[in-house]
Amino acid sequence: MAKRHVIVGGGTSGANAILTIREHDRGESEITLVSAERPYSRMVLPYYLGRSIAESHVFTLTPPRLAQLRVKTHLGRRAAKLDTGGNRLTLDDGTALDYDDLLIATGSSPVRAPVPGADLPGVHSFWTLEQARGVVSQIREGAHVVMVGAGFIAFTILNAVLGLQARLTVVEIAPQILPRMLDRLGADLVERWLARHGVTIRTGATLAGIEEEAGKKRLRFRDGEEVVADVVIMATGIRTNLEWLQDSGVRVNRGVLVDDHLRSSVPNVFAAGDVAESRDLVTGLPALHAIEPTAMEHGRVAGANMAGENITYRGSLLMNIVEVCHLDIATFGAWDDPTANAFAALQPERWAYRKLLWRENRLTGALILGKADDIWTTNDVGMLKGLVQSGADLGKWKEHLRRNPFDVKPAFIASGTTARLLPQTILGRPSVPA
Amino acid sequence: MRCELACSYVQTGAFQPAQSVIRVSPFEGHTSYAPFTCTQCAEGWCLTACPVEAIAISPVGAKIVQNDQCVGCKLCTIACPYGTMFYNPETQKALKCNLCGGAPACVVACPTSAIEYVEAETADWLGAFAADRSPRHLERQAAMAEAR
Repeated sequence: MAKRHVIVGGGTSGANAILTIREHDRGESEITLVSAERPYSRMVLPYYLGRSIAESHVFTLTPPRLAQLRVKTHLGRRAAKLDTGGNRLTLDDGTALDYDDLLIATGSSPVRAPVPGADLPGVHSFWTLEQARGVVSQIREGAHVVMVGAGFIAFTILNAVLGLQARLTVVEIAPQILPRMLDRLGADLVERWLARHGVTIRTGATLAGIEEEAGKKRLRFRDGEEVVADVVIMATGIRTNLEWLQDSGVRVNRGVLVDDHLRSSVPNVFAAGDVAESRDLVTGLPALHAIEPTAMEHGRVAGANMAGENITYRGSLLMNIVEVCHLDIATFGAWDDPTANAFAALQPERWAYRKLLWRENRLTGALILGKADDIWTTNDVGMLKGLVQSGADLGKWKEHLRRNPFDVKPAFIASGTTARLLPQTILGRPSVPA
Repeated sequence: MRCELACSYVQTGAFQPAQSVIRVSPFEGHTSYAPFTCTQCAEGWCLTACPVEAIAISPVGAKIVQNDQCVGCKLCTIACPYGTMFYNPETQKALKCNLCGGAPACVVACPTSAIEYVEAETADWLGAFAADRSPRHLERQAAMAEAR
């Protein structure tokens, strides 16, 4: 009998797992996809919001594609109960699916600030396609949009909101913007840049509640300040979707704990993406990244192993990039490790800042900030990633970078980093387009 | 730097070396130079990272950006560990070496025949060259820093 794979979740990791299984077996096995939503890419929703792409552009595994890949689907259904002893998944409509192996790829959900009025109509999250549709229909020219939370998700939609000619205020509970992507010096530079582009920033602001007021929303803060908004977007964090795994026997910490083959504590149950707590490439410790590149790699490795390959995963490199008003902000690896040897350089007149973090002569983390069209930025973003990913010993180049932190390229090339990176592939073979 | 001019012209329609996808690095205090561009690596970090499958492999084996698919999210620019994935602010699309469809403009433009387009093993052609031309320069820099 053909092997029966069940994939729970149609996001980045689920889709990559399906494509990788099919790349391996050309259609022999049975694949069933359970997904609460039609598969789409969350990463591109900000471009749909900004109207630079049509809604149809966001879909990944469309019905014809799923048919071509010979994938059975239960779309609009959620997993309700996992019986790992009986190898049976039960869905929220009572359907039972028997499997030989299963992938947990249920992702994460947005969390709203726990204040009165957070669930009023007109207070939006921006996470799912459905929520994106809700925001798209509300933002009009001249509208005042208040974004609660100044984290990565909020920043990915900042350009789109400004592009729609809305007025934007960003409020953040922490004393600085992007607290998980920037240190204080970098945050100060970005705050000045945004002020210059007409964005109002209020940091250290704790929301106390939201009230409806003649079609608008009045946001009250703990310090007594108030702001009136036409549209409120809450981007106050996410949590992993794990509830359905209760009593399943799958070991869970902050996420599903997986080994270097993406297997959970139950050998025929794999986990990938935002729900999977797996090895961080730099620290070697289990980590919950909840980022797109990690979800993609997890999906491919899990898919290959479910298809019968033996692929060992080296671990995920934490990385993020966001562009706001043509200023790039990118981080790699352990960019905020307080125990690392770090040096930073600021060039305020060029809006450039970077921080390099070291363990002996190896770069373990980097933060880079600069104008998107500045040669310092475009030259160095990828090379800093390569230096952290390869863990190359930079020897005397470390001192060079301490003196000239904006001159990464000669260090990258002359340290032979290219040679270290060229043999690296995630699946031990050349990648092919899906 | 004629390769940068030729490249930017073919790729973007303008002579702007800052938009070239081949970039020349000086070594040993500008006494030698090394042009650096995409190796068309086996992993294709850009290709696998793209959330909308905008990167394909062309008949000549180059990873190429399909502009009608690319949304400009820049994920490929951080996924590529070689720093050879760029972004064109005018088109708001990712920009990389596509080997000019099999007739690279940089090769034609190079006045010293330093760039050749041949079938060869993918390798780090510049690492040893650059390493060889760096130590004296690094030592001189260190000595100068100490003198200050």
